[in-house]
Amino acid sequence: MLSAGSRFWLRVQGLVSQIFVLLTYHSIEAWMRFRRYRILDHGRVRAEFAALVGDRRGPLLVCANHLTLIDSLIIQWALAPGWRLFVRPGWFFWNLPDKYNMSINLFVRLLGYFGKCVLVRRKGPPEEIRLALDQVAYLLGRGQSVLIFPEGGRSRVGRVDTENFMYGVGRMMQESPEARVICVFARGVGQRVYSNYPKAGEAFVVRMKQVTPTTTFKGMRADRDLATQIVHHLRDMEQEHFDHATPGR
Amino acid sequence: MDSATAFGKVLSIIKPFVKNTAVFNEATDSTRIIEDLGVNSARLVDIILAFEDEFGIEVDDDSADKVRTLGDAVQMILQKTATAH
Repeated sequence: MLSAGSRFWLRVQGLVSQIFVLLTYHSIEAWMRFRRYRILDHGRVRAEFAALVGDRRGPLLVCANHLTLIDSLIIQWALAPGWRLFVRPGWFFWNLPDKYNMSINLFVRLLGYFGKCVLVRRKGPPEEIRLALDQVAYLLGRGQSVLIFPEGGRSRVGRVDTENFMYGVGRMMQESPEARVICVFARGVGQRVYSNYPKAGEAFVVRMKQVTPTTTFKGMRADRDLATQIVHHLRDMEQEHFDHATPGR
Repeated sequence: MDSATAFGKVLSIIKPFVKNTAVFNEATDSTRIIEDLGVNSARLVDIILAFEDEFGIEVDDDSADKVRTLGDAVQMILQKTATAH
């Protein structure tokens, strides 16, 4: 159970982030355009996401594959324009980046705060993991949306890692059964293995689908079962991508 | 079940997940599962579930969170098997 203080500071962060969302969004977008990043069929991707979410309010748990440090920025940019995030705060996702990566300097720390980041120490003690899960449950309970990477880190195998993934997403789904789950596969066309940043000029493919994993297990077995289903959905989406990839696109 | 038997079974369950085999070969009660043996923290859940299957016990989240060393694992198993039987 999240303390009253933690709940208060999360609400403050959510409010401050929302006030500055246009500035944050367009600053990041300008940087991505400077890097000449682009989303393939960007209009279709945004229309698809809008159709998927529709006018229905309520929490979203967005689960994505993970290959670079800026995947969450790419996905947020790919799925919705800044004005949408301004009028629909639920489309502005909370993130759970690694505390180490988000503490390298003041700018990144501020970006993390304004970018709705809940910092987690990867491989940290169970109490910290528990706190992060409680924060996610609280946010989803308030109808917010959360973007997570079920693999728990950038895939070291260059593809969706179906062997070494975390089960935290399963716990989130159990604690917030009202959240709709959307799997998002995003990958730079030229991305071969994991990296800090995609190369300049990279074009990204983005696919998505809503999924409804269920389980007959309880507790940790349910965590594992649900997380496995999510990772397998991502693996299948990745396979579809490679099956349909057009050389030279 | 005595602690030596439990310790042996714990070792056999953990072995496939161990990255640091040198430490594993010298393992004691105070050997830390993640830090010393190099077990991926995500796989700790698999290990706990394997304990449940092997020893016929149920491990709640709080108990699982307290397992840091091989000795912690053995103590938890002995307590829960004593309660279960």
